[in-house]
Amino acid sequence: MITCHLLNGEFVDRKFNDFTTIADVITHNRRVLQEMPFDAIIELLAKLGKRLIQNPDINRLQGVSYISIWLRRKNLERICKTNYGDCRYLDKFVPVDNHFAMAAQPRGIVCQWIAANIPTLAFFSLAQVILSKNGSIAKVPEENSAFIAALLKELSGIAISYNGTTYRGEDIVEAISLVSFEGRNTEISRMFSLTADCKVVYGGSEAIRSILALPQKEHCETLVFGPKYSFGVFDREYIESERFEMALENIVKDIAIFNQMACSSPQVLFFEKSKYSLEEIGLKMKGYFEQLPPLLRHQETDPAILASVINARSRYLLSDGTDIITPPDLSWTILMDTIPRLEDPIHGKCIFIKEIESINEILDLITRKIQAITLCIRGEEERRIFAREATYRGVDRIVIPGATHDYDQPWDGILPMNRLVRWVILKNEPEV
Amino acid sequence: MMMNSNLNTLFQLPAYSFLNDEKNQVLLPIIRGQLEEAIKNNHYIANLFLKLHLSPEKILCLEEVPPIPVQMFKYFDLKTCPEEQIEKILRSSGTTTGIPSRVPLSKNTTINQIKALKSILKDYLGEKRKIFLVIDHEGINNPLLEFSARTAGIRGLSIYAKKTFYLMREENGELMLNLPVIEELLLRYQEEEVYIFGFTYIIWSTFYNQIRKKGVQFNFKDVKIFHSGGWKKLKAEQVSKEHFSDEVARIFGTVRENVLDFYGMAEQTGIIFVDCECGNKHVPSFAQVIIRDPYTLEPCGNNKVGMIEIMSVLSDSYYCQAILTEDMGYRVGINDCPCGRKGVYFRFQSRIEKVEVRGCGDTFRE
Repeated sequence: MITCHLLNGEFVDRKFNDFTTIADVITHNRRVLQEMPFDAIIELLAKLGKRLIQNPDINRLQGVSYISIWLRRKNLERICKTNYGDCRYLDKFVPVDNHFAMAAQPRGIVCQWIAANIPTLAFFSLAQVILSKNGSIAKVPEENSAFIAALLKELSGIAISYNGTTYRGEDIVEAISLVSFEGRNTEISRMFSLTADCKVVYGGSEAIRSILALPQKEHCETLVFGPKYSFGVFDREYIESERFEMALENIVKDIAIFNQMACSSPQVLFFEKSKYSLEEIGLKMKGYFEQLPPLLRHQETDPAILASVINARSRYLLSDGTDIITPPDLSWTILMDTIPRLEDPIHGKCIFIKEIESINEILDLITRKIQAITLCIRGEEERRIFAREATYRGVDRIVIPGATHDYDQPWDGILPMNRLVRWVILKNEPEV
Repeated sequence: MMMNSNLNTLFQLPAYSFLNDEKNQVLLPIIRGQLEEAIKNNHYIANLFLKLHLSPEKILCLEEVPPIPVQMFKYFDLKTCPEEQIEKILRSSGTTTGIPSRVPLSKNTTINQIKALKSILKDYLGEKRKIFLVIDHEGINNPLLEFSARTAGIRGLSIYAKKTFYLMREENGELMLNLPVIEELLLRYQEEEVYIFGFTYIIWSTFYNQIRKKGVQFNFKDVKIFHSGGWKKLKAEQVSKEHFSDEVARIFGTVRENVLDFYGMAEQTGIIFVDCECGNKHVPSFAQVIIRDPYTLEPCGNNKVGMIEIMSVLSDSYYCQAILTEDMGYRVGINDCPCGRKGVYFRFQSRIEKVEVRGCGDTFRE
């Protein structure tokens, strides 16, 4: 059974056995979105950003302030320019030279499988589908559906005037449907996959593998945001510079945001040998963990993750050559050792910190599963060289402390919106 | 020697006769002494105390004894006596990780475990040895096989047996009724006092289904049915504990109150927590149970669900003094269970299930 939380602009839970009705409504409604000037869409979303932060019922929700910043016109324009090169392609054929012109047409219905670990993920996914003028059917985790519905309700109530015409957020929302169904239900998953002109899949290995094995339309494009891992690297000069304290403060926030469940969350920090011992660095981090606001410090954590944290702490207490810094509760954990390797993520703000001889040891640890390295190398040229090599080996993003979760484009090595459109060509007869 | 004499005194008393505070006062010095030895004999445990800036003499109450998670038995040698005193290593099958636990046993520990089990079973079965019926096949008790929850129950409970019968046999990897044995029991042993053990899911999914079809009904003079193991599969089949007990009792011609669920683990062999007639699990005099909040790690009050920590004084050969399980339960009360047993009484709720992280941040391996 499919539970549809949003259809045709109505936020009412309805049950369906298949996606026929939902797909018909979205196919019909996406035409209005396609005809909306791209700049009007940007304006509506930017206005949404301002409204979200002003609404006391919504702005207290975790992640809303970041969404609001992300929706600023300048940011949206930058993202779109990175993806499309020229945003006019979304509205019309743009001459490339005398002989042909190009345009970007939406693919149709974009079916999205949204992972549960990040409450804001559904919004970012939908925003990109809107900015590529596609219709959306998003499978959202039940626990996050109210959050995303609240944001879309706000969008429904927005209208703007653009070149003398009124454009309504409601028209955008009518091209979106939110659904929930049991992911293990193969028949519903199969129908969902076959509805898609484009699939966007977020999730862990098991989920990704099973979704990719589903049948799909021949023309269907698939974007996969699969399992990834992130960590941080500090060289000696950086550690001994004036920037270090601020970097530690910011990286502690990076660890805390999303309770370390995101693919962009640092799991290990490598510190080159410096004038500070690993314990001194750990104690500095302890100070910043203690300063975290209560909402970030104490986040609801699955008992299985808590059990993993307890096990990891004990492993480091029993072992030779390791140590831990912890509060009495499980709000955060620092595990210290000198083994230069990546560790299986534990989550729940459990960070491995490791002292290493040289940051170059880290290059050999890089796989294509590494999404972000928070790279703290003092020398600009050295940082660029390291970044070039690390990205060659598989890293998608080289970031600075405090910015690992910034939803940049490209993401996971992909320019998503560029792939959410069909690039079409109009050839002209040569002038006689 | 002093410690052993203290322990022997504990074994001689009825298992549930101590008021909780009295028991804590008796256990604390024994545990302190055992921890001193553990630190002397095991550098991992010495690391633990050193890093926690803790020494046994500073421990003022049982809650302050640092618990070691049960998973650590998979990764560390947690022996607490000189190597030459270790007689055997108990290997418990690793159901979640596939890595077995290793529990080093000295002669003294094994004797203590047997005495402890006898003391517990005496409270439920009385003084006399009885016929022991096992709802499993004989091969499960092969000493060459790794220890599992199934073998633990059989071996533990068999110490009260004057004769043992296995009610199942294995055929092509499947459990079938051991009909010759069942016929012999029906013919010759109906007037006997018996006690029975089986793994909860095996009793329900194989034994009960098959014996019901055969229409077999036992009618022993007296019977107690012990069962152990998770309820997860039965819950999935929507079988309640009450329905299970009623149906199993019917097969053996007895009442629900004689079907006794118990909770135990290989790492705390010698101690089982058997349901009393009120459905509560009681802590015997040589052990303690603390329910800890999984987030604050503080001890929980009554009725608050937390992680079950089991403390024991039975072993001088491995760290049994405080083991944090991955099971959730809650304390029902202290000293005042209507069944009359003293001390802490609690209920098991569920295992902590390993979850697949429902997101994208999960691995670095290609």
